[in-house]
Amino acid sequence: MNILEAHKIHKTYGSRGNKQEVLKGLDLHIKQGEFVSIMGASGSGKTTLLNILSTIDHLSSGSISIEGKEMTKMKERQLAEFRKHYLGFIFQDYNLLDTLTVKENILLPLSIKKVSRTEANKRFSDIATELGIEELANKYPSEISGGQKQRTSAARAFIHEPSIIFADEPTGALDSKAASDLLNKLTRLNETRKSTIIMVTHDPVAASYCSRVIFIKDGRIYTQLNKGDEKRQDFFKDIMKTQAILGGVQNEH
Amino acid sequence: MNINLLIWRNLKKNLKNYYLYVFALAFSSSLYFAFVTLQYDPALDEASGTIKGAAAIRAASVLLIVIVAVFLLFANNLFIKRRGQEIGLFQLIGMTKGQIFRILTIENFLLYFGSLFIGIFLGFLCSRFVLMILFKLISMDELAELQFSTQALVQTLIVFAAIYLLIMANNLFFIHRQSILSLFKVKATTESTVKRVTIVEIIIGILGIAFILTGYYVSSRLFSGDFTSINELFIVMIFILGSVIVGTYLFFRGSITFLGNVIRKGKGGYLSITDVMSLSSIMFRMKSNALLLTVISTVSALAIGLLSLSYIQYYSAEKSAFERVQADFSTNSEKEANMLTEAFNDHNIAYTEETMEVLVTTFNMIDLIELTVDPELAEVDVKKMESTVVSDKFVEGLDVLPNEVFFAGWPAMYDSLMKVKHDSSIVMHTTAKEYKLDFIGLNDEPVIPFYFTNGGSPTAVVDDTLYKQLQNELNADLQLNLQDQGNHFYKINLQNTGDIEKANNLYETMDFAHNTWSLQLEFEGVKIFIGLTLFITGFLGLTFLITSGCIIYFKQMDEGEEEKNGYTILRKLGYTQNDLLKGICVKQFFTFGIPLVLSLSHSYFAVKSGWFLFGTEMMTPTIIVMVIYTVLYSIFGLLAILHYKKVIKDAL
Repeated sequence: MNILEAHKIHKTYGSRGNKQEVLKGLDLHIKQGEFVSIMGASGSGKTTLLNILSTIDHLSSGSISIEGKEMTKMKERQLAEFRKHYLGFIFQDYNLLDTLTVKENILLPLSIKKVSRTEANKRFSDIATELGIEELANKYPSEISGGQKQRTSAARAFIHEPSIIFADEPTGALDSKAASDLLNKLTRLNETRKSTIIMVTHDPVAASYCSRVIFIKDGRIYTQLNKGDEKRQDFFKDIMKTQAILGGVQNEH
Repeated sequence: MNINLLIWRNLKKNLKNYYLYVFALAFSSSLYFAFVTLQYDPALDEASGTIKGAAAIRAASVLLIVIVAVFLLFANNLFIKRRGQEIGLFQLIGMTKGQIFRILTIENFLLYFGSLFIGIFLGFLCSRFVLMILFKLISMDELAELQFSTQALVQTLIVFAAIYLLIMANNLFFIHRQSILSLFKVKATTESTVKRVTIVEIIIGILGIAFILTGYYVSSRLFSGDFTSINELFIVMIFILGSVIVGTYLFFRGSITFLGNVIRKGKGGYLSITDVMSLSSIMFRMKSNALLLTVISTVSALAIGLLSLSYIQYYSAEKSAFERVQADFSTNSEKEANMLTEAFNDHNIAYTEETMEVLVTTFNMIDLIELTVDPELAEVDVKKMESTVVSDKFVEGLDVLPNEVFFAGWPAMYDSLMKVKHDSSIVMHTTAKEYKLDFIGLNDEPVIPFYFTNGGSPTAVVDDTLYKQLQNELNADLQLNLQDQGNHFYKINLQNTGDIEKANNLYETMDFAHNTWSLQLEFEGVKIFIGLTLFITGFLGLTFLITSGCIIYFKQMDEGEEEKNGYTILRKLGYTQNDLLKGICVKQFFTFGIPLVLSLSHSYFAVKSGWFLFGTEMMTPTIIVMVIYTVLYSIFGLLAILHYKKVIKDAL
């Protein structure tokens, strides 16, 4: 079942005199429970695509539906409502509120949905154990490490069990140990919770944890790679090769 | 792109961003100009007339300079910090600090003096309006004319040029202190202030509240007679001030965080959007602004307190004039009473005349009052208290039985000195015997003129038969005080209020050697001075209100900028603009409300401790002042909310 369907999406920036087309009629289908990553060079439009898919930015033409709900015609308030219930976010710079403790940050999405307090506590301890951040509950973001911050951010994205989780360069600011740690945890959550994850990255290692990689070039889908039954190492090599072709430079591995 | 173009571009951009700075500048200069214009207005010479009045105006204009200078320096500091990155960039591309300073100076010069001239123009237009208010306050019938005073213009220009130099010196200092790196960090520094609440903070928080309460408690005892000598009073006042100010500081420093933390603990990590927007932000912000907020609330308290006191004085002026005089015309001399009545007869002015005799005797009041102060220090003997006595025949609306007594004109000041037991009795002494009288009540309205009352003591009202007995058995030694002036009080009331002016003209042509007063003239005499005082405190209060409101608003603009990131996150999480705005409203309610409530309560206790020295009525004038202050202050809260609305809208 397709959880997200995007059809012929166009996005142009700028006014009449100086138009710049960032997305040029892109089609995309994501299945329930997939862990997809979107790759591409800087300026290829991958972040714009993520913003549009996640309803933060408006598209110029085309249509997007998530769980069968058409989003292009929704009003601002409906979109907020939609994000509240169906979407989760993980960002490169964590985007934690630094006046709130780790626990308060994580529980934030639940308070919009008016989940009962006992239920909220139960969900918190579940996800926090899974991500290994239980003992940080009462610390402020300024007191924890980058990796811990990103895991907090991930916990916040998962806690209200959204249909899709959007991750924008989640490993961008982490060292390789913290990055692989986070990716392992994301993969496990993807498996245990059957959550759909769409991740934008330019790091081939990060992409190799996914089940499918979509390459974007100049606002169009260039190619896709499916992991299938491949080992992560092999998948990584495939990604590297594709990326090299994409960049126009042959790279020997 | 040369430097001139850069300056011009910056100026255009700044005008949009800093419209409030321009507004604040224009506003403070217009206030100052209007005030100085008044100072040089010939019409005011008559009003202020006395040296005291002129000195008060001059002192006020100096205070005004101080308020405006501090405010402008502060505002400038906030705005230059916002441009830290830009300055860093200039340095990075190789400009010297001197060149940057020159750019800032020219830019500021245009902005500053541009707003200054707008301000002077507005001030010129306002000055007539301001003068009209003043004339109304001192009941002068003169027409306020629009006058342009070059003297005032020159003075305003000099003062504001001096402030400009100060600001520039400050900017120079700022630029020189910074390296390229630190300039880039300016914005980020405040964010690292978020730390966990420590035990020390909890202690500070509790101490803060304790200090404030101690100050309040001591202030309520200030004039209760516990402290008698001037030195003692002075020390106690300093103590109250110190304790309240330190308490306020600690309150902002710790108590808010402490209270916020208690509330947050109770929520167990599960915060609603309103909590997120208000509670968690205020907890940390108030702490870092503690000093500023302390200054604002203390000086606001001072402003509200002084305004209340002078309004109490103004409000009570008519009533206290009546208490002093008791009738349209009153005197204690038969001869002078006759002079007046003859003149009134000659000019066909209808009047009524009453004569009232005032006696003095002693009472044993041991059952009635319970002193809360040491009787020896206060030098009173409750078993033998002197009091004036009048017959109930002359007191309208009061009928006292032969075995009863009523006290009129009981001063509010007594409340802190003694407790009165109702359902008790007192004993009246005469040369022949003692009369036991049941106490039936008291009020605060005197029935005899002030000069009979021995400095505002109450008067016993007794039945006419008892009064006649007292006349016969009178202790002559006690009457000494009244004897040389005469113990009769002649009350002359006009039958038609329209005759008052005529009667006063006659009154003014006569010479009086005794205590002969005209209510109207007495009232007008005090009104000019009190009105001038009220005007000056009002003017300063308004300036302060607006400057402090602006400062908090500027701070909010800054906070909004810093928290914009958070709004982006929250909106991405699916909160609507309205959800965020609701939280912001709560936040503004507290950011503006906490300093306001603190200063209102500070000033309330200050006024309460000594209001009776200024007038006869406390609650109404104080509440009016407080309500006006609160309403004007809230405007800035609303402005801040509007600003946040824009920030939130732009956040996604």
